[in-house]
Amino acid sequence: MPYEYIAIVMFMGMMAMLLSGQRVFAGIGFVAVVAAIALWGDRGGYDIAFTSAIKLMNWYPMLTLPMFVWMGYVMSETRLADDLYRMFHVWFGPIPGGLAIGTILLMVLVSAMNGLSVAGLAIGATIALPELLKRGYDKRMVTGIIQGGSSLGILVPPSIVLVLYAMIARQPVGQLWLAGVFPGLLMAGFFLLYVVIRCGLNPKMGPPLSREELATITWSERIRLLRAGVLPVVIFASMMGPFVLGYVSLVESSVIGATIATFVAIAKRRLTKQVWETCVVNTLGVSCMFMWILLAALAFGAVFDGLGAVRAIESFFLEDLGLGPWTILILMQVSFLVMGMFLDDTAMLVIVAPLYIPLVAKLDLGMPPGDVLIWYGVLYTITCQVAYITPPFGYNLFLMRAMAPDQVSLGDIYRSIVPITGIMLLTLAVIILFPEIALWLPHQVYGQ
Amino acid sequence: APIRWRMQTYAGAALGEHVCKPAIELFNKIAAGQMEIELYYADQLVPTSELFRAMQSGTIDAVQSDDDSMQSPTEVTVFGGYFPFASRYSLDVPVLFNQYGLKQIWEEEYAKAGVRHISAGAWDPCHFATKDPINSLKDLEGKRVFTFPTAGRFLAQFGVVPVQLPWEDIQVALQTGELDGIAWSGITEDYTVGWADVTKYFLTNNISGAWIGHFFANQDRWNEVPEHLQALMEVCFEQSHYYRQWWYWGGEADLRVNGPKLELTSIPDEEWATVEAAARTFWDEIAAESETKAKVVEIFKKYNDVMAKSGRPYRYG
Amino acid sequence: MPRFLVMFVRITEAVNYRVGRIAMYLIFVLAAVLMWSVISKAFFRPALWTQEMAQFTMVGYFVLGGAYSLILGANVRMDLLYGRWSPKTQAAVDIVTIFALIFFLATILWGGIESTAYAFEVGERSRTVWRPYMAPIKIVICTGVFLMLLQSVCFLIRDIATLRGERI
Ligand code: NA
Ligand code: NA
Repeated sequence: MPYEYIAIVMFMGMMAMLLSGQRVFAGIGFVAVVAAIALWGDRGGYDIAFTSAIKLMNWYPMLTLPMFVWMGYVMSETRLADDLYRMFHVWFGPIPGGLAIGTILLMVLVSAMNGLSVAGLAIGATIALPELLKRGYDKRMVTGIIQGGSSLGILVPPSIVLVLYAMIARQPVGQLWLAGVFPGLLMAGFFLLYVVIRCGLNPKMGPPLSREELATITWSERIRLLRAGVLPVVIFASMMGPFVLGYVSLVESSVIGATIATFVAIAKRRLTKQVWETCVVNTLGVSCMFMWILLAALAFGAVFDGLGAVRAIESFFLEDLGLGPWTILILMQVSFLVMGMFLDDTAMLVIVAPLYIPLVAKLDLGMPPGDVLIWYGVLYTITCQVAYITPPFGYNLFLMRAMAPDQVSLGDIYRSIVPITGIMLLTLAVIILFPEIALWLPHQVYGQ
Repeated sequence: APIRWRMQTYAGAALGEHVCKPAIELFNKIAAGQMEIELYYADQLVPTSELFRAMQSGTIDAVQSDDDSMQSPTEVTVFGGYFPFASRYSLDVPVLFNQYGLKQIWEEEYAKAGVRHISAGAWDPCHFATKDPINSLKDLEGKRVFTFPTAGRFLAQFGVVPVQLPWEDIQVALQTGELDGIAWSGITEDYTVGWADVTKYFLTNNISGAWIGHFFANQDRWNEVPEHLQALMEVCFEQSHYYRQWWYWGGEADLRVNGPKLELTSIPDEEWATVEAAARTFWDEIAAESETKAKVVEIFKKYNDVMAKSGRPYRYG
Repeated sequence: MPRFLVMFVRITEAVNYRVGRIAMYLIFVLAAVLMWSVISKAFFRPALWTQEMAQFTMVGYFVLGGAYSLILGANVRMDLLYGRWSPKTQAAVDIVTIFALIFFLATILWGGIESTAYAFEVGERSRTVWRPYMAPIKIVICTGVFLMLLQSVCFLIRDIATLRGERI
């Protein structure tokens, strides 16, 4: 059987395994070892499977993963963001849509302190959402922005998704993280604009705080609350500062961040026994989930590579079909978005990485080769954000369903994401048209 | 159907472009469909630390690597890669193998492990490229450096902290601060693979004048290949060694003088002499470990003695 | 269900729970090792062993914690169809597809045992200056994967019980 067919069979097999509802890593790993055995005999099968564990061990940025997961749980479980929320609430409350604006800013700060979207969603859905609903905000609008805002966690550094991308694409994590800064801020800016416009057109969607209520908040209280804003700055600065300045390594910076977050929680007396238990257990669960999917993905990638299928696909797209580089890029993003509806980000990375990343590296887009895969990492991450919130399969969607107050129905959640998806796609288009938005900062810091 | 082989090199894609790919493409072209070698780069199929085992078991048919990087379980492992001060020029390596008897020792050692030693070749000298300038031995203290295992063992006595990472991650590790420098290659490689973009200084003193590396194959797979293709493979690999002779030699001189990215620094000769003296002690320690190792060290000594006595251009001073 | 199968499930899950609860705390060992790396670099000479020790600890964390994470249900499934099925249908499908998990884990274990045997045979040590022996970490991987394998068999037994309308 020609290798191209084996590659197709591998993909079909994996899709079937995933659809069966078996654990994702089992499906991917199973197809990988069966293909390895079919190609290279039994020894090939177990060599590839076991050495994937060694590969995973050798890849040092992986050490940051449990640290960032831990940090995210400490932050959301100990409600470290409560004061932060109060701060935005008081300061932005008086203007129409102000609480929603405050919530978006809160999401940006939370994103800068952890690497996943889960922490942001938990904070948004449990602290901000009930309050917003009580104040008469439009439930679909605010449900949407919390989902969209929390997904910034993977675009604004630190980002676990970009660590995984870095591992598979073999690109520098530091540059990828910096590349995510401005696209993340841009997307947050679009969310803000969206809220301002909608509330401007229809003030009922986001009523400001009443005069009576405002009168009850003293100025000393307002100033005191500003101090809450210091916390994320301290955590972010102590984590990213020494790293960017070269005093500590990436891995070490993640430990510093996790340690500081833990001490702050202890100092605030929020780290109760029960919270501790939740954090420790969930960190293990989430870390194991990622590690095992990656292990399976590495095995899958190695077999796929071993087939030489990558080369066949490259020549198919570039030579046989004769498509232009931009056409290929856009086709890839569209197929990616469609897959994102059904798959989660890790599964998507596993499936498309062996195909898309080498292909993107070959495309002549008028950019230096060193830049292309950094820029593409940002495009990939935005696509993951869309995948998070689009039905039928989306992490944030499920979590929102579980965490939102009862008055927010499933239909509300589904409808809430339509404009948000639109904004994300707009950001994607802008970054495709203006790669400098992503690439400017890494160029400044790492100089090229 | 053609015979298909999978070969993995320890070099990453950017370097493999020069040190391996041309030879493999040449082989595939001349073999004209009778046989095809597919080339994979560092860690692509299996991690470099598992490379030897994968070749032994036949998951990979052939390998290009030094003995040290792929952790071959043989007696000669420490001499592959950079054995401190064993060679001065890249031509030393083929002479040592073909005229001084190393080839036979290597063939025997690998035959014991079911692996065919096809041929040995030389690469570049081993220099430091660092983020901070190195002007004395003291400047080396506490530097986290990516280097070959044996070189690392030797350099640790001068306060260097050797670090092992997958080859493809080195550039990133220099950026993320996991590394302060590398002691892995000459200046040609620093420029070719992008390390010159993330370091600032190049130390002109080297701890070895030429890397020793090889092409290997799984013995059973080798036996299955018809004789004329075996011969073709040997010729193409020799051609690859030759390509490296001039590619590195020319690049080393040119980039020191005309390269825009790295500033040259030197440790004074008198101070560097202490490192050379330490190497002699290190040789004796290694020789004491086994009979085979003693035999190889003896050959190094004999060869270097001849070179030193022959004077210029073989040795200066 | 036969008594010995029930016993097998109970004992295996009790062991996996305890091993996982201990492995869970390796994250703090990991943090401590990396913190020492920061401190030693800032005040003394960078330690030779921290990077590798951290990597070994991380492997121990997710491999020894693997079986417990399976019990916790932490490994995502694509629930597009699966989520809509009744518990019985889910069990019936799982009985078939669990073999994918078992096969994958068994293959890793097989490779792991081979590689561990090789590590003993040649006294394999890591390439670093610290030069730790590789056999211990390979044994850790084998142990963790073996426990995950046993846990997968427990799931199979539980699913069969579910189909027969029993509970373990
Ligand atoms: Na983030
Ligand atoms: Na989705």
